[in-house]
Amino acid sequence: MAARYMRRLFALWCMYAWLDLMWVTRSFQSFVLYFCGETIVAIAALSSTLLLAERFNGLGPWSKPQLIFMLGYAALVFGLLDMFFGFNVLFIGRRLGRGQFDHTLVQPQPIWLALLTDGFNPFGASGPFLTGIILISWANSFLLLTPTLMWLFLFVLNVVSSVSVVLSVSFFWGSLAFFAPRAAEEINTPLLRMFDHLKLFPLDGLSAGMVSGLLTAVPVGFIAWYPCRALLGLDSAWHAPYLTPLAALGFGLLASKLFIQGMRHYERIGSQRYRAMGHRG
Amino acid sequence: MNGSDHNATAPWDIVVELKGVSKTFRQRQRSAHLKDVARNLFRPVIREVRALQNITLTIRRGEIVAYAGPNGAGKSTTVKMLSAMLAPDVGTVRVLGYDPVRQREAYVNRIGVVFGQRTELWWDHPVAASFEWKRVVWDIPTERYERMVGVVKELLGIGEFFNSLARELSLGQRMRADLALALLHEPEILFLDEPTLGLDVLAKRNVLQFVKDLNRQHRVTVMLTSHDMSDLEQLAERIVMIDKGRLAFDGDFDRLRREFADRRHLFIETTADRYPELTGARWIESVGCRHEYQFDATHVNLVTLLEQAATQTTILDVETHRAPIDDVIADIYEHWQK
Repeated sequence: MAARYMRRLFALWCMYAWLDLMWVTRSFQSFVLYFCGETIVAIAALSSTLLLAERFNGLGPWSKPQLIFMLGYAALVFGLLDMFFGFNVLFIGRRLGRGQFDHTLVQPQPIWLALLTDGFNPFGASGPFLTGIILISWANSFLLLTPTLMWLFLFVLNVVSSVSVVLSVSFFWGSLAFFAPRAAEEINTPLLRMFDHLKLFPLDGLSAGMVSGLLTAVPVGFIAWYPCRALLGLDSAWHAPYLTPLAALGFGLLASKLFIQGMRHYERIGSQRYRAMGHRG
Repeated sequence: MNGSDHNATAPWDIVVELKGVSKTFRQRQRSAHLKDVARNLFRPVIREVRALQNITLTIRRGEIVAYAGPNGAGKSTTVKMLSAMLAPDVGTVRVLGYDPVRQREAYVNRIGVVFGQRTELWWDHPVAASFEWKRVVWDIPTERYERMVGVVKELLGIGEFFNSLARELSLGQRMRADLALALLHEPEILFLDEPTLGLDVLAKRNVLQFVKDLNRQHRVTVMLTSHDMSDLEQLAERIVMIDKGRLAFDGDFDRLRREFADRRHLFIETTADRYPELTGARWIESVGCRHEYQFDATHVNLVTLLEQAATQTTILDVETHRAPIDDVIADIYEHWQK
């Protein structure tokens, strides 16, 4: 069964990648303009923290190269979110609130498989991802990290976990659209905007209460700050690299519980409204 | 009311079965007065809307069933239940032996669903790309896929716009492409919710002809809803009507006409301008010596009317027409509202 799902997963990703490539290469002008636009957006998003780091030669306990690493890590996480969960999968409240979830229900595959593959656009949303890779490589040219296999494993594990934390929190709040479609249709927008704004700031020096809040109620600390502290050795506790995966598990369980409850509600009530906007681009 | 002989079908031939299905929705009632703001927030008045009430219905393999009713009668609720989008509050829904909601994944692989106001097409891609998407998501074997692409291209004539972007298609082309997409996995049952909505006469005729051909050649069972009754009459032998969530009629169109007054129009051409007085028929108008009447054929015999006319004047020509089905249905809806 697992092998069958893996085969389906890759077949679906390949197909969505092909659709995305067709869209990106629909004309030469739009191809060039799209990538210029994506690059400008990615640079603009990182510039404030990068300039602060340059001006003060680091921030708090973070050296300039370490900050660049963190910026790269954050860009990588949001790049992966954009790349794997486009077409309003990340903004799940929109799909639910607009009654577009019906399209998923008539597909003969598990809901999780549809949500994991539906939004895959590896070419159209590659800007932040590539920016992240470039920044991490650049940071490494200063940091001179000699990654062991274990470090690489922890790096990948933490990146995937950070992606899962954002996705889970987004699904947790987005699931409210099952119960209040109109009111919660856009709930993911301010939430993800807040994550996007706060993801780049090192939380060192804040009060313990504030840090706890930013790791639980609004877990922006897990997007880049905490995992990078662990990966770069700023937090030397043995369990530090495992905290983000643990958090991802916790938030994932919470989000699944609410989403499943929402699904049951949807089975009973369905959707009384339907808007085509945003369905498949 | 369920006076048809459909309940007498052999059980193995039944593909859709609804037994005592009820569905109730709760609607918040909001007062528009400022003084009621607090009540709207904290103690809103809830109204229960009974979308379906104790619906029992069966459909046999290979049937085309028209599902009709006034706005808000419960048609879309039924189609959603049959499309695995909604579960009943009470009763059971079985299609091809499946519980649509509980066995969704296996079930939807054997049905096709088209909503006239929604599209499964990828808007910024050619129709061909949506077909490829369908092949992978539905995991359709290559042989079946290629065969069905050939079938739908021939039946629906989509070859001419197969490589055009979906957003550039006309409404009629889009509907044909959506129908084609719904058929690629060779569904045994097709649920069509308002498939002709907004289509021009030609596009409508093409879609209806296609559904007919599909049913005849491939024995696909079809259940469709529409407000256009003449479309439904052209296509389906059987009509199921619901009103306020209750099954109000299940039978063929002839029986529907008989049961709810077989309204006919009578045209008599005479030698005189003055129209003859006919008991049992209502005079509508006279144009020259041609006089139009309306009568109910279930209560009044045509011969009696003509005998009455013959005693008053000399008859030159006679014509009768059945009232269009849309008029019959409009009368029925009006009658239900009273």
